[in-house]
Amino acid sequence: MTAPFSAPSLPEMLVPDEQACRATLERLQAQSEPRVVVVGNPNTGKTTLINAVAGTNLKVGNWSGVTVEKREAQMSVAGRKVHLLDLPGAYSLSPHTPEELVTRTALLDESPDVILNVLDAGNLERNLYLTLQLLDFEIPVAVTLNLVDEAQEKGLNVDAAALSRALGVPVRETVASRQQGTQTLLETSLQQATLGVRVRYPRLIEDAVGDLVGRMKALPTLPSHAHRYLALALLEGDPSVRGRLSATGHTALIDAADAHLAVLEAQGTDALIEIAEARYARAGDLARLSVPQAEARRTLTDRLDGLALHPLLGIPLFLGLVLLVFRLTFSVASPFVDLIGGPLQDTVSGWASALLAWFPLGRDLVVGAIIPGVGTVLSFLPTLLVLYLAMSFLEDSGYMARAAFLMDRTMRTLGLDGRAFIPLILGFGCNVPAVSATRTLEHRSDRIVVSMILPFMSCSARLPVYVIFAAALFPKAGSWVVWGMYVLGMAVAFTFAYFLRRTSYPAEGGGVLLELPPYRFPAWKVLWKHAWRRTASFAKRARTTVLATVAVVWLLMALPAVTGQKFATVPPQDSIFGKVSQAMSPIFAPLGFGDWRAAGALVPGFIAKEVVVGTLGQIYLGEQAATPAPLGLVAGVQQAVSATWEAVKTSLGAVPTVLALPHLGTDTATDQKSPLARALAGAFTPASGLSYLVFVLLYTPCIVTVGAIAQEHGRKVAWVTVAYQLSIAWVTAFLVYRLALGLGL
Amino acid sequence: MDDLALDSLKPGEGGYILSLDRTHPLRRRLLELGFVRGARVSIVRRAPMGDPVELRINGTDLALRASDLGGIWVRL
Repeated sequence: MTAPFSAPSLPEMLVPDEQACRATLERLQAQSEPRVVVVGNPNTGKTTLINAVAGTNLKVGNWSGVTVEKREAQMSVAGRKVHLLDLPGAYSLSPHTPEELVTRTALLDESPDVILNVLDAGNLERNLYLTLQLLDFEIPVAVTLNLVDEAQEKGLNVDAAALSRALGVPVRETVASRQQGTQTLLETSLQQATLGVRVRYPRLIEDAVGDLVGRMKALPTLPSHAHRYLALALLEGDPSVRGRLSATGHTALIDAADAHLAVLEAQGTDALIEIAEARYARAGDLARLSVPQAEARRTLTDRLDGLALHPLLGIPLFLGLVLLVFRLTFSVASPFVDLIGGPLQDTVSGWASALLAWFPLGRDLVVGAIIPGVGTVLSFLPTLLVLYLAMSFLEDSGYMARAAFLMDRTMRTLGLDGRAFIPLILGFGCNVPAVSATRTLEHRSDRIVVSMILPFMSCSARLPVYVIFAAALFPKAGSWVVWGMYVLGMAVAFTFAYFLRRTSYPAEGGGVLLELPPYRFPAWKVLWKHAWRRTASFAKRARTTVLATVAVVWLLMALPAVTGQKFATVPPQDSIFGKVSQAMSPIFAPLGFGDWRAAGALVPGFIAKEVVVGTLGQIYLGEQAATPAPLGLVAGVQQAVSATWEAVKTSLGAVPTVLALPHLGTDTATDQKSPLARALAGAFTPASGLSYLVFVLLYTPCIVTVGAIAQEHGRKVAWVTVAYQLSIAWVTAFLVYRLALGLGL
Repeated sequence: MDDLALDSLKPGEGGYILSLDRTHPLRRRLLELGFVRGARVSIVRRAPMGDPVELRINGTDLALRASDLGGIWVRL
């Protein structure tokens, strides 16, 4: 198909200077520890490829200063120690997102020895745009055509040899998901990578580039491997390159570029358009050359999208899927949560009691604080793992982009776009990863608004509080109360977003663009690694804070504030903790829970919401729960094994039931109430219990979330969030309490 | 030979890119994604509430809001 008018003429090619080429290659061969960076468009299967190439050597961390994931590996290849660094997916080197900025900055500053460029074989033209930009660096390039199998299904047979001849760099074929071609990829890339054939831009532009490159040669502070790239970026008016150069004192270069642009403009040349057109003309030419006969086939993606994006079924299907994910999370994970928090913890406590029987104070600390603290963190992991698995599946399969497409119209009423829905959904699992997920949003104000409303999304740590109160106070309508909390959280979040948009953070202009990548069945190994790593990093971050909180609360409860009481045997109301809570409790009296015990349990919740229930237990049940019977080794093992087996059975048995409709209102039988639920039923009225739940839902996010917000957007935003949420929580709880009283609860 | 803005096309229709308005908020990104003169673009579908709109260009599916289709000019 050709356009019915004159398309841009084919640009000529620019063969790299032979001397420069030889010098670069010699440098690469002499390098004892070469650095290889992996660059490619999003959705090219790059993460799977890196996993296949690096295997167990892969280390995942963060880029400093931003929460963009950094994957790197050190491995021995043909006797050399090779540093492999995966750069975040980018459509081009003119950054529009923090991830693309990381990629561009790394290419400028990390002085890579080889660029390994990953292409989607089924989408050559667009992927080659980035390749052509990469070839403008003085860095050897090797190309790998990934997803070859998928391209063949679409009827595209790419001729790698022809592409390699035309680009002047090695081109290999891989199917990373099946580890085809990945074994020797690194070795051959290191051997064969070279400077490729460049696009020759229209003469006026090449003249300007030549002049700018000449000026740069006199400036030793500029990375010498990037002169041509920087010159082109200046002419394209790339704001981030301009910002970077002016910040490093190179305003003379910017002035020179502006002078060139003025001349080009006067001659009717728009450099941005001419450069893009020249690259696409070349990319299209290369694509036609390497894919001789392309026939369009109706793909699986087309058929699935017919359903997933259906005008009537699309949104119900999406909401059903979200519900399914959460039901799956709760029913599959909760037997293990109960197992860790119940029988396993009892077993370990029993052993500790037996071992430390000679040292009562130590026993009390271990059994009363350390084991419950560790247990709290551990009991959180099954939920997170299942949730992260489900979320990674939806993300990696390509469905999340469809969710953004479906929800865009709705989110627009809040001045946000559809992509903002994804961190909000993640927030139901855990606010912490959700805050990091905001980085995929383009505008800073969007990222801040979403991060600030995120904590209103009821994370799974808050669920145990709802469940125990629902069981205690609303035996007939427990599920409705729990659902109500989720809905109220969303309502408050959306109202708050609307308010923020009209005050501090108005929407930045600039359109919305989403890519809808082809559906792919995610590789289980990658999914598992993803989910496991996210879960482990949560455990790592939460471990210290939660353990410390539980220990401090235990200590404050053990220290008497009244003379005549002894350490560790003091009744809760006479401890320091009790006295502080009593001083604080009048603040909560208008909300219906001015009782010091209720108010006191909120304090540790600042640090981690999952300890609220634990602290309620400590306060309301006191010693009763803290001294389990000593347990022998054999009896303990028997108890643990049989409990684990029961949990596995319950969990597997729950899988088929997730598809059944939820039974609301019949799930909490009164006679099965736990001791804590019975204690709470005596201490709260339905109205004050509801108000307490609303407060727990809305008050200050846990310290880990606050930390994530501070890391992402600065301390000021984090503190403003904390202050706002405390006030909103108080006001909303007050209103709910009054309303509930008015309704006669 | 009709020159049209992309927002006047219906699902299933397509055209060849003529130009992008200089003031288009996504101009730079669209150029990088292949919205250059002569490229073939077609409308795949509209989202359930009519907006955004799914486009196909260079074998890639992209979604843009209807309001951002206005500054993209095509010839059928």
